[in-house]
Amino acid sequence: MSISIFDREYTIEQKEALLGYALILPSVLLVAASLVYPVAYNVYLSFTEIPLDATQSPEWVGLANYEALLTDPEFHQAAVNTVVFTFFSDVGATALGLGVALLFRNTFRGDGVMRGLVLLPYIAPLIAVAFVWRWLLDGNWGLAAYVLRDVLSVYPGGEDIRRNIETVILFDTWRYFPFAFLLILARVRSIPNELYEAAKIDGAGRIARFKDITLPELKFVIATVFLLRWIWNFNVFSDVWLFVGNDVPILGTFVYVKGFETFPPNQGFAAAVANLMVVALLVFVIVYARFVLEW
Amino acid sequence: MLGELITSVARSVRGASSRFRRRSIEAPSWERALFYLAIGVVLFVSLFPFYYMLVTSLVDETWLYRTPPQAIPSLSALTLENYDALFGSETAPFVRYFLNSLLIATVSSALGLAFSIFGAYSFARLEYPGRTLFARGVLVNYMFAGILLVIPLFQIIVALDLVNRIGLVVTHFIFVIPLGLYLLGNYFRSVPREIEEAGLMDGYSRLEVIVRITLPMSKPAIVATYMYAFLLSWNEYLYASVLLRDQSQYTLPIGIEQLQYAYQNVWGDVMAASVVTTIPVLLIFLYLQKYLVEGLNFGSMD
Repeated sequence: MSISIFDREYTIEQKEALLGYALILPSVLLVAASLVYPVAYNVYLSFTEIPLDATQSPEWVGLANYEALLTDPEFHQAAVNTVVFTFFSDVGATALGLGVALLFRNTFRGDGVMRGLVLLPYIAPLIAVAFVWRWLLDGNWGLAAYVLRDVLSVYPGGEDIRRNIETVILFDTWRYFPFAFLLILARVRSIPNELYEAAKIDGAGRIARFKDITLPELKFVIATVFLLRWIWNFNVFSDVWLFVGNDVPILGTFVYVKGFETFPPNQGFAAAVANLMVVALLVFVIVYARFVLEW
Repeated sequence: MLGELITSVARSVRGASSRFRRRSIEAPSWERALFYLAIGVVLFVSLFPFYYMLVTSLVDETWLYRTPPQAIPSLSALTLENYDALFGSETAPFVRYFLNSLLIATVSSALGLAFSIFGAYSFARLEYPGRTLFARGVLVNYMFAGILLVIPLFQIIVALDLVNRIGLVVTHFIFVIPLGLYLLGNYFRSVPREIEEAGLMDGYSRLEVIVRITLPMSKPAIVATYMYAFLLSWNEYLYASVLLRDQSQYTLPIGIEQLQYAYQNVWGDVMAASVVTTIPVLLIFLYLQKYLVEGLNFGSMD
């Protein structure tokens, strides 16, 4: 190694620092190559039209992609759907995760095993859970569709409930509530029981205890979970695509459809959409971190 | 491992039941009933789809496609024909998809780990300017989900002429690095400094300390990280779908998707394929239980 050649000229601290750089460098270079460069390259691509033939280089078109975007009703629809989907599936997963975490606050017979089982929707491969829900909601033969439509009359016959944005939100809530559950549970179990006992002795009721002890103790973890889920839901692609295809267009599927599923593909346009997503997400994260997390 | 699992379950049950007795004195019985009802509902909602996945994979078509659909199969409808079709079929070479997924996940997570072990050690233990910047950079990755980068990465991969499984292995392995840096960095920080310093005193160089002391001590964490990386690759859909053109190279998610779109009403086969895809994940999950929280919280790559 090059470091040993210069053994005599460096102090131990300097050697350690050099070794530190040497060890981290490959990872940093690779991650930069896969993150920093593509992000910058994507900005360039969004000002171009990318030809189908890979041997030709992209043609500069200026702001044309962005202009086309702003007047594209499909883009508007996808943007609105994304915000609705992100907000409600985030609230759903966080609230359900909180509820289940509170159920698991005290240990009980078999709680370790049950905790593991509750995590299954989140652990299992996406392709498996997306398709089992498609099958359960299948208009002709699906069991859940039959129960909801014919037994409980939740929705009228002839409608395909899977293609509603509400159903996509519920699917996502079902898949990701265990994530919120796990994070919140760790915090819930660390709230000292004495707090509750003291409050009880002081005559605080169930609701008062929840409002004045549980919520303040969990405020930070809930806010963090909400932020993390927001980031992922906003960027979601595979979950929605495998569950409902392009029937509920969101920005993630819009990028994919424009870039890979239409002919001819319009990748410059898709790149512009992805850039706007990055900007919107950054703004959200900064505002959220400043005003909600108070960093 | 099974023995360990059983003793730990037994211990937690014993511990829980004594606490439970204490609890049951204060809680009125209607409240306990409500509590178990709620737990029951949560478990039912979480698990029913998996139960139905298994049932669907094990019954014949006549039971599957009839109205009204039922939740519990009759014994006479049980069959393994869906699995036979899956493993014998020539139109959808499922075994090949399985092996492709296995190969890509094994190789890409091993490569990712090889890089991230040293990177993680570097910012967990060694002191140098810019270290915290690198550590924070790992978290920025969090925001850039696959879909935001798919166009530029695809263009780069096309330019490198790697639109095949090599390109996919490279993508997966680079995506795994931040996860590895994060998980292993946390673990290395927990290795007592004194042990490493003793090694340095004995005349080991820093690299020797890493290879002979730190890595052997971190074996469980390294195995766990490897498995998380494996799962990321095993489940990944987006990049596999844009980079794999040739059916003989398909991974499981792409293969199962094809199966479902190419034929009408093959839910028995699709669910059998889903079961087979889920089983390795469950086995890994059982092993990983104790490392659960950290790894799962880092999230997925798309």
